[in-house]
Amino acid sequence: MARERVHPNYVAVWLWLVGLLIASVVISYLPISRGVAVFLIFVAAFVKAVLVALNYMHLRFERPLIYAMAVIPLAIFFVLWIVLYPDIALR
Amino acid sequence: MSARVEVEEHMGFWRGYVFSTDHKTIAKQYLAIGLFWAIVGGLLAYLMRWQLAYPDTEVPGWGFIGADFYTMLVTMHGTIMVFFVAMPILLGAFGNFLIPLMVGARDMAFPRLNMLSVWTFALSSLVLLISFFVPGGAAAAGWTGYPPLSAKPIYTGVDWGLNLWILALALEFASFLMGGVNFLTTTVNLRAPGLSMLRLPLLVWMQITAAVLFMLSVGPLIAGAVMLLMDRVVGTSFYLPEGGGDPLLWQHLFWFFGHPEVYVILLPGLGIMLEILPVFSRKPIFGYRPIIYSTIAAGILSFVVWAHHQFISGLDPRLAMPFSITTIFISVPFALMVFAMIATLWRGSISFPTPMLFALGTLAVFLVGGLTGVFNGSAPVDIYIHDTYFVVAHFHYTLFSVTFFAAFAGIYFWFPKMFGRMMNETLGKLHFWLTFLFFNAVFVAMFLLGLGGMMRRIANPMQYDFLQPLQPMNVFATIASILLLLGQIPFVINFFWSLVAGEVAERNPWQANTLEWSAPSPPPHGNFEIVPVVYRGPYEYSHPSVPEDWLPQDRPAVPTAGV
Amino acid sequence: MAEAHVMAVGVETRSVTGIPTGKLGVWWFLASEIVLFGGLIGVYIMSRLGGAGWSEMAAHLSVPIGTLNTFVLLTSSLTMVLAFAAAEKGNPKGVRTWLLLTVLLGLAFLIIKGFEWSSEIGAGFTPTAGAFWSFYYTMTGLHALHVLGGVVVNFILFLAALLGLLRGSEHRVELAGLYWHFVDIVWIFLFPLLYLSW
Repeated sequence: MARERVHPNYVAVWLWLVGLLIASVVISYLPISRGVAVFLIFVAAFVKAVLVALNYMHLRFERPLIYAMAVIPLAIFFVLWIVLYPDIALR
Repeated sequence: MSARVEVEEHMGFWRGYVFSTDHKTIAKQYLAIGLFWAIVGGLLAYLMRWQLAYPDTEVPGWGFIGADFYTMLVTMHGTIMVFFVAMPILLGAFGNFLIPLMVGARDMAFPRLNMLSVWTFALSSLVLLISFFVPGGAAAAGWTGYPPLSAKPIYTGVDWGLNLWILALALEFASFLMGGVNFLTTTVNLRAPGLSMLRLPLLVWMQITAAVLFMLSVGPLIAGAVMLLMDRVVGTSFYLPEGGGDPLLWQHLFWFFGHPEVYVILLPGLGIMLEILPVFSRKPIFGYRPIIYSTIAAGILSFVVWAHHQFISGLDPRLAMPFSITTIFISVPFALMVFAMIATLWRGSISFPTPMLFALGTLAVFLVGGLTGVFNGSAPVDIYIHDTYFVVAHFHYTLFSVTFFAAFAGIYFWFPKMFGRMMNETLGKLHFWLTFLFFNAVFVAMFLLGLGGMMRRIANPMQYDFLQPLQPMNVFATIASILLLLGQIPFVINFFWSLVAGEVAERNPWQANTLEWSAPSPPPHGNFEIVPVVYRGPYEYSHPSVPEDWLPQDRPAVPTAGV
Repeated sequence: MAEAHVMAVGVETRSVTGIPTGKLGVWWFLASEIVLFGGLIGVYIMSRLGGAGWSEMAAHLSVPIGTLNTFVLLTSSLTMVLAFAAAEKGNPKGVRTWLLLTVLLGLAFLIIKGFEWSSEIGAGFTPTAGAFWSFYYTMTGLHALHVLGGVVVNFILFLAALLGLLRGSEHRVELAGLYWHFVDIVWIFLFPLLYLSW
């Protein structure tokens, strides 16, 4: 893979990030069920994180090894979360 | 040639030996600090063992040991041996020294970061040393630091000592994170031409797997340690039940790291064995790829076994069976490696110089340790043997095998490369037999003590009626442990004597194949006169196409036979 | 003689995978940081699920200030990546400008955070005021330390760019950027977690 780096439109990404931020805050004030609101807010956060990772950190253009280094740690701490659940969340 | 000499002469003492960015010097610095702490840790063990055999008597050379002080001894012996002996010697020294040489690089990818890592480690050592001398003494909550004992100074009487303990560990973690970045990038990116990942010496595979395990497991413990420090210094209640916290949380965070950590220590030790066994059997490694796959499998599994340290902690009982199952599973890849090592030896032309004796000793000792791990990993059995000396014996068989037997094997084996001189064989063999004999004496006794019900971390077994009949075994273990410590004297003499007066070593005294033996003994800055090109894997011993029974990785392909 | 030069410098420039070694190194480091913050966030989530009375405590957080801080950090990510783009295009003035803006925005984040903390502590919400507050200060504190580290690194790079020392090492802007974006991503999750999930 040659290093033809096409720069994404960084400002457009930023506009999306800000938009998602405003949407999250607005959702938190809406009179909808708490569970739904939190779910939507975290979806928004996830999308923001992915936008930053793929475009600002250029993961979109990187090799599989780099992807692995970003993704495998996520899997690992999910294991910790799952095991902590019965002992910590269900006290 | 002259350019290189000019560089070295301009270095001077400080740049050349103290503030060096050369990976070989850094490795020796790690080795020196690790060996210093090994002596301290051994002396702490002497004090502990005397107190156990002859409770509340004056320890020769020291004085009386009270229960509080005993708890501090237990804590610091464990902390020192795991974090300040095993890590610096197995990873800091052998990893730093061998990885660039074995991959054919001139140095690590980030030499200045490497220097920062050893200086951070030196700083953490200093912090730990100071902790012995502050009011209240050094940490005394076990090397595992469980709260509430560790969270409130009033429980142990130790205040600053434990804060410094946390700080020292944080610095140590930072140091090895930096080292891990170097190990991984150097191995992945700086390999010599022709050196594919599947032609790497197994030691390198072991070191990078250890680095990955360390880097991916230490994070939650750092978070947990910050929280412990907050509980101690700020007064939060992350782990204190009276404030709504949970001591079990610390246990999970600690062992989530703690279990991969023991494999971080184990794998480099196995790597040393895997380099030495083929050399002195004049045979290729049996099952090179299966060993690599097993290592990766063990690495992945190591992240899902940790709660086997917590079976009787009040853990959610539903977690007991899954963790028992994963723990039993993890014995499979290691069993495969042990079988592969035995198969490597099978029908080889085996010789027994000191490095080989220690490598075989590692194998024998580790085998016992690994087998007894199976008992510990099964929750129903563990309920009886947890927190007894059975566990202590188990982990000494596994940890001592790599931290000492394998490290000694590595030191005797690579001493010629590191220092340009051979170590004395007679003293080496004496050292081996004394160590092997007395180590087993001490720790077989401990298996029996554990099965008899003797608990860990108690300062005076004679206080318990049911333990009094076992006391002769405690005395036996103590005498054996003193002899074990004395048995290290031949090594100390040998090491220092050989540094100045050992027989000058040639480039490849063992007639081995890996790339470090193509460099001079010791290698200069920059390692190789010409960057090697690799033509084959690392274990081509007794290859039919050449008259010698060894065939270095960087020797060009022989034109006659179909190599 | 290339060999002697490499030996004297002692720094390798080989790259078997084609990935620049520095980038590989930074990503390994970020991998360990992902587990660090992921672990801490996971502990918080699990504790929160089991913890009663946390929403009352969290109600005292100021959503407007948190939102402002999030906006500041998001924008600093933009300026950081624009600095990198300028570096790739060989535009030294752009590098200096965007790096300086990133530093200033990072400092703004820290100042706003400091102001926020002092008003909370002044109102009696110290780290020992309740489990939620213990976590809040620990998590935002650890994050703030990371922001501070990033500000320092970016400032050093800015100075280097100012003094013309960055020529030949522009890839360092990218590497610093990777770290900075990571710190931003952590806050992207911390903000809704601490401020909005009630």
